[in-house]
Amino acid sequence: MRALTTSGLSKTFKVKRKPEGLSGSFRSLFKPEWEEKAAVQAIDLAVDQGETVAFLGPNGAGKSTTIKMLTGILHPTSGEANVAGFVPWKDRARLAFRIGTVFGQKSQLWYHLPPIDTFELISRVYELKRTDYLTRQRDLIERFELGPYLHTPVRKLSLGERMRCEIAASFLHRPRLLFLDEPTIGLDVVVKQRIRELIRERNRQEETTVFLTSHDAGDVEELCSRVIVIHHGGMLLDEPVERVKRDVLSRKTIKLTLTEAADRTSFPVVTGTEVHAVEDRRLILSVDLKQIGIEEALGGFLGRVRIEDLTVEDPPLEEIIKHIYGMRASGEGSA
Amino acid sequence: MNRSVRLSRWRASGSKGIAVGRIAWRQQLAYKTDFVLRASFLLLILFVFEQLWSAAYGGDFAKEIGGFTLKQIVWYLVFTEALTMAVPPLAARIEEEVKNGDIAVRLTRPISYVGYHYASYMAEAAFRFLVHLAVGSLIAWPFVGAPAFGAGWAGLLILSVGALSVLFLLNAIVALSAFWVEETSGLSFVLSKLQFTVGGMLLPLDLMPEWLQRVCAWLPFQAALYFPARAGVQADSAELLRDLAIQAAWLIALSAIVMFIYRRGVRKLHVNGG
Repeated sequence: MRALTTSGLSKTFKVKRKPEGLSGSFRSLFKPEWEEKAAVQAIDLAVDQGETVAFLGPNGAGKSTTIKMLTGILHPTSGEANVAGFVPWKDRARLAFRIGTVFGQKSQLWYHLPPIDTFELISRVYELKRTDYLTRQRDLIERFELGPYLHTPVRKLSLGERMRCEIAASFLHRPRLLFLDEPTIGLDVVVKQRIRELIRERNRQEETTVFLTSHDAGDVEELCSRVIVIHHGGMLLDEPVERVKRDVLSRKTIKLTLTEAADRTSFPVVTGTEVHAVEDRRLILSVDLKQIGIEEALGGFLGRVRIEDLTVEDPPLEEIIKHIYGMRASGEGSA
Repeated sequence: MNRSVRLSRWRASGSKGIAVGRIAWRQQLAYKTDFVLRASFLLLILFVFEQLWSAAYGGDFAKEIGGFTLKQIVWYLVFTEALTMAVPPLAARIEEEVKNGDIAVRLTRPISYVGYHYASYMAEAAFRFLVHLAVGSLIAWPFVGAPAFGAGWAGLLILSVGALSVLFLLNAIVALSAFWVEETSGLSFVLSKLQFTVGGMLLPLDLMPEWLQRVCAWLPFQAALYFPARAGVQADSAELLRDLAIQAAWLIALSAIVMFIYRRGVRKLHVNGG
């Protein structure tokens, strides 16, 4: 069953163009000049019930405009969409019962009150049956391990604790489709991991479709089975995560802090490892995992330089997208 | 839609409203400092006005000015101040939601946007109104005596529900203009000054010049402050019924305006983005 389909979904905004200077502002007051800006261009999506999709793109690519259309807040300029059986912008109120939204940078919890109060409110707003709500609430509290925080005012919770409550809250009404926007932003590694596990578990047990946007490659890798990348409002890529991982997520970034400043010539040449940047005592390496393991790559350096500190990271998503974009442009990539 | 379906939709909306009201009320209890500050400010204002009116009446408790005794005028002020200061900053809130995009999140919930704000506004306003009444009594009671106005209390409470609703709608009109203009604080300023003057907050309308009274009679502001406060100090069942009717008429007219603006605003949001 399809959870979501769109065909030729497009959105053009009219933007007022203000000429420079005071006289320009004055002129635009009486004779505004409008400019058309295509935010989303002919997007075709088909997402099955229970799929986990990462919806990616650089800032301004049209992600949030697309999500606004899918949740019924925006009218498209042209094209069609069906979300959980509804045309979103025509049936926003009824669609609202079927979908959930989590925005990492916004909170739906009442700040001065304990989370349980917001849960209660949600149960009323979504018209949940009393007994259903109580069982559901108990299940989620247990799975998300919220017991200790349930009666603490939200303002006193840590970001990680709060996010767990936010996500549990958005599952209360059993949404068929969950829109997640940067759900792990600002969290530490352990908490990120836990949040991803919890979302994955819901997805497996209840077939909740997950539609995620994130700048964190880890979210994409660990949570999603499919990646859709948009750029300049159009579709750039739609592939299984496995494949993207093999093609482009195969690089890791190693950041080293050395005990003393070193120059480029003293570094060994290690297969599959590029020296990305050197700056005083800081050294950034880019490792291609298809050619060499992290351990081996590091080993090559260990004997030659003295290391004070090191971190291993995924390359930033922007870079990955740039890479994909580059591949597309030069015709290397396969569709 | 048949009648029973419609009835159950109304009931669902009502119970959502109550749930929002309940949580908003509870959140209010968390703002203790805010309350203490407002309460002390209220005490100060009322003290100053009590002194002023005592001077105007020459301390004579039997004297009447414009049909009001000193005791009535001081309690009148307690009532209008309690109502005015009960109103939450609706325009600032909605403006913030439009600016930071929270409105998009609100619109994806199965609850009416205006209805949500009305429920949370009324819960807050009712809570603050009662607290301010109690605080105001601390000044008025010792200086001019107990508020023994007979059925006045019933009139005050009944008309206050409508009065706070009228104030909600007036504020909502200003607040929803945030869909078009970036700043609503100018309009909010004008609205609050209109309440102070032609709404009869500082002075009962009876004390104003004849021509101004005639103008005020055609404005919604009297229904928001003057009606409940006057009914509080001068119980009169015939006037109460007339006031209720005028209030009801304004509630209908202003609701229509608010819904019209809201629909236009959401459509603009639809077409142009948030």
